[in-house]
Amino acid sequence: MTAVTGTHDEDAAHPANGLDEVVHQRVRLGILTITHEARRVEFGYLRTQLELTAGNLSKHLSVLEEAGLIEVEKGYEGRRGRTWITLTALGAKALADEIGRLKKLIARVEDR
Amino acid sequence: MTADSMPAANDPRRLLSELRALAHRVRLEQRMTWVALLVLAAVTFAAIPVDWFAMQVRCHPDGSCEFARQGMLYYWPPATLLAYGAIAFFYLRAARARGLGTRVLPYAITGAVTTVVFPAAWLAVHLYFQSHPYPDGPLPYWYFVLDRLVMPWGMIGVTLLLLAWLERSLALLLFTSGYLVLVLLVLPMSDGFGAPHFGIRAGMAVPQVIAGVVLLLGAAGFRAVQRRHR
Repeated sequence: MTAVTGTHDEDAAHPANGLDEVVHQRVRLGILTITHEARRVEFGYLRTQLELTAGNLSKHLSVLEEAGLIEVEKGYEGRRGRTWITLTALGAKALADEIGRLKKLIARVEDR
Repeated sequence: MTADSMPAANDPRRLLSELRALAHRVRLEQRMTWVALLVLAAVTFAAIPVDWFAMQVRCHPDGSCEFARQGMLYYWPPATLLAYGAIAFFYLRAARARGLGTRVLPYAITGAVTTVVFPAAWLAVHLYFQSHPYPDGPLPYWYFVLDRLVMPWGMIGVTLLLLAWLERSLALLLFTSGYLVLVLLVLPMSDGFGAPHFGIRAGMAVPQVIAGVVLLLGAAGFRAVQRRHR
């Protein structure tokens, strides 16, 4: 993943260095943001809002679940299967950290 | 939104803006402001006959009258508990139907807590004036404002402020500010409109009717706006 490039002497302090490979991705950030705001979100809602195919969304959810950032709960409502996604404490922290780093990055770009 | 990672230096701004838009859309989907206002209008209207018929009025030969609004004390605590429970239920049900969770629980809990404030304040004032003489001169203005704040209509305003914060809704904040000005500074919610235009019971009922109508109009307004957005 290429984020923002900088000179060698700046690298240690550059906010781009702290960007999390798992979180720093548009769709996954979108999933975390929606889940954070909604507390709990259904698979279908995420698919509609993020304009993804079911397979594509599933892949992203798997990455986030493996990283311990979300929990996926499958169940039934009547005969209809429903999948609910909740954010873990680790996921909430990862999202807050990532947004903080993005803001720092913007500030750094503006300072130049 | 695409599955690409960030390709350019100016992307963080766009990404943050997209995330804010997503969060805002979720909040809009979760909002059921009109339901909260409708339920609160309903309990306000239902309180009027309770207050009217349960009010004890004792008039003296010199024309002065004493009144006790005991009905309010028995009606409002269970009514507000039921109202906030119902609001939480409708919020959760609507959000679930859209595939979302919601964070209305803090609102319901605050509603339940503020329910206790009204009878507690009434009891404190009652006990205070049992052992202290009633002041001869007119009471200070802040006393009336504080009195109205701890009454059920003031407490409704306080919980609506919390709802406005939870929903990040500027419109509800503005509506609630207007409502609070009305019930704290304009309408005589605690002592009613006086003679010669109104009797004691009617004088107490009219401010409640006005507060109820304002909540009802608010519900209709927020409902109309929500329908237009969806």
